[in-house]
Amino acid sequence: MKVKDLENLNNEGVDSLSSKERRRFLQFGLSITGVFLGGSILSLTSAHKVQGALRGGNIPVTDFPYSPHYTMVIRQNHCIDCERCLEACRSTNSVPAHGYRTTILERSVPIAQDQRERIFMPILCNHCNNPPCVRVCPTQATYKDETNGIVRMKPEKCIGCKTCMAACPYNARYFNEENRAIDKCDFCYDTKLKESGGKITACAAACPANVRIFGDLTDPESDAYKLIHSPDKVVWVLRPETDTLPNVFYMNA
Amino acid sequence: MISYLKTNTLSSTSMNQVLIFVGLALISGFGLSFGIHSLLVGHDQTFGTSREVPWGILVSPYVFFACLSTGLCIVSSLGQVFGIDTFRPIVPRTVFLALITMATGLMCITLELESPWRVGFYALLSPHQSSNIWWKTTIYSLYLIFMLFNFMSLALKKKKRAKIFAIIALVTVTMGNLNMNSDMELLGARGFWSENYMPLYFLSLSTLTGCAAILLFSWLGKVFGGQILNIEDHRALKSTGKLFMVLLLGILYFTGVKVMGGFFPQFTKNPEAMSLLVQGGFALNFWIGEVALAVLIPLGLILVTRGTNSNILAIAGFSCLLGVFVLFYDLVIVGQLIPHYYQYNVVDLPKYYTYNPSLHEIMITTGAIFFFLAAFVLGEILFKKTYSS
Repeated sequence: MKVKDLENLNNEGVDSLSSKERRRFLQFGLSITGVFLGGSILSLTSAHKVQGALRGGNIPVTDFPYSPHYTMVIRQNHCIDCERCLEACRSTNSVPAHGYRTTILERSVPIAQDQRERIFMPILCNHCNNPPCVRVCPTQATYKDETNGIVRMKPEKCIGCKTCMAACPYNARYFNEENRAIDKCDFCYDTKLKESGGKITACAAACPANVRIFGDLTDPESDAYKLIHSPDKVVWVLRPETDTLPNVFYMNA
Repeated sequence: MISYLKTNTLSSTSMNQVLIFVGLALISGFGLSFGIHSLLVGHDQTFGTSREVPWGILVSPYVFFACLSTGLCIVSSLGQVFGIDTFRPIVPRTVFLALITMATGLMCITLELESPWRVGFYALLSPHQSSNIWWKTTIYSLYLIFMLFNFMSLALKKKKRAKIFAIIALVTVTMGNLNMNSDMELLGARGFWSENYMPLYFLSLSTLTGCAAILLFSWLGKVFGGQILNIEDHRALKSTGKLFMVLLLGILYFTGVKVMGGFFPQFTKNPEAMSLLVQGGFALNFWIGEVALAVLIPLGLILVTRGTNSNILAIAGFSCLLGVFVLFYDLVIVGQLIPHYYQYNVVDLPKYYTYNPSLHEIMITTGAIFFFLAAFVLGEILFKKTYSS
């Protein structure tokens, strides 16, 4: 058929499309989105060791840099800013009043002309796979746990130069005057994680709206794994331009 | 033009000279006592720094004195390493100045640390080879030792040995300078420090401040000792003045790059910070400190007098040092003032973080500067013969 002939045809409109055809179109779109999202996540979780093949939207990941590879998914549209997570973090980890390991930011996002939406965005250490804080520490006081990928602290080695604070793109660190060392989120490694058998952190346990989903990226049964690998969900990380390859993911779900 | 002739012989140390030293040392001790107090009660009680702006004004004198020492070492190497005769007369004083400036810088960064007592153990027992800050501090500490041996060899008239230590110190301090740049550049959270021109800028600034310090402190040393500036000294300062002028032109170019970045976002990777510096809250610092005091006034003074008047060269050097101090303050602070989540429309997040140096920080900085001045005067008292030889 020639272009001129096409131009002469009448527009059928969308009303004549069958619901089967619509579903197929949507399915096709979601598959493409899923493939690209999966690819993005693979590149974010970084690790040159990660092997993932993209086959029609399925992302078989066989090798993560850590095992377990702890992660947290923030379902930010569920957050109501009740701050129970903050209280749980403080009491579980003995966080002093002058600091915090995690907090909730309130965003005012433009959604249309003269219309803005309020969103609560919990933030914490992103336990990056490429952590600038670890790179700059002169005494290895902060380090990446070789087993589980958690960015942890050895307070007795901290000289208080605060270079890690200056280097962190997420404002996730503070100086604890009580032990004269930097303190930060370690996914409750010594306080809650061990006692729960590596299943949950204090903030995730305290959240009444299931905003914070803690899990293991190497465990397909983990809720965090399932959420991140849902092809119909948009997943993002904070400040991707800093190339830190975070392990805290955000989504509306 | 030789404008402060008094005598051409070495005078013995007068009571006035000793009193000046004691006065400077007392002021230094008073200022530094604020640092001891801060260590005891914690920086949260005494410093203006915060979680968002963790590095305060004390990082500026560290960077300033370390770069100054680098520049002094480079200029001293012209005479003792590269064998340029014109620069030989200023070598001993320059080496001593390099020594005390680095000592002052390291003292500043020590007082900026919250738990400096752990450095001795863990910098040695748990070194992190990927950390530029570890390399930088280690390199500068080694450099301090090499410069000490260099100066001792000069004082003992062991020229060959002095040259060997000078070469090692020169290589070491250049590595330290490049590490300082990398250290700041690595802080991905603060893009202000990762501009492409930074390595050359740091090295040029260091050499510039080295020249400025030689012009000022050679003049001050002669005035303090009531001595004449002989022909060789005068020639050495004139040559330093020429090098100073060339470097000023180079820094003028870099300043122009900053101005472009401040007004036109497409010329910089960090438009928010550059705008804050050039036309925002730090504009006064930038235009008066970085542009006028650091570059234009010294350049104007040298061009007007054709670089032959040692008094004017000393004033130009002083103006430049003041301006570069402001420049390093801006460099350290402005880089931290862009909020971490500025692109996320966070409610109540300020456009820029704020930082104001506290009384303690100002007093410690003052104490460090007076420590350097007291050490300089002590050098003039103790090493007259070494300087004049």
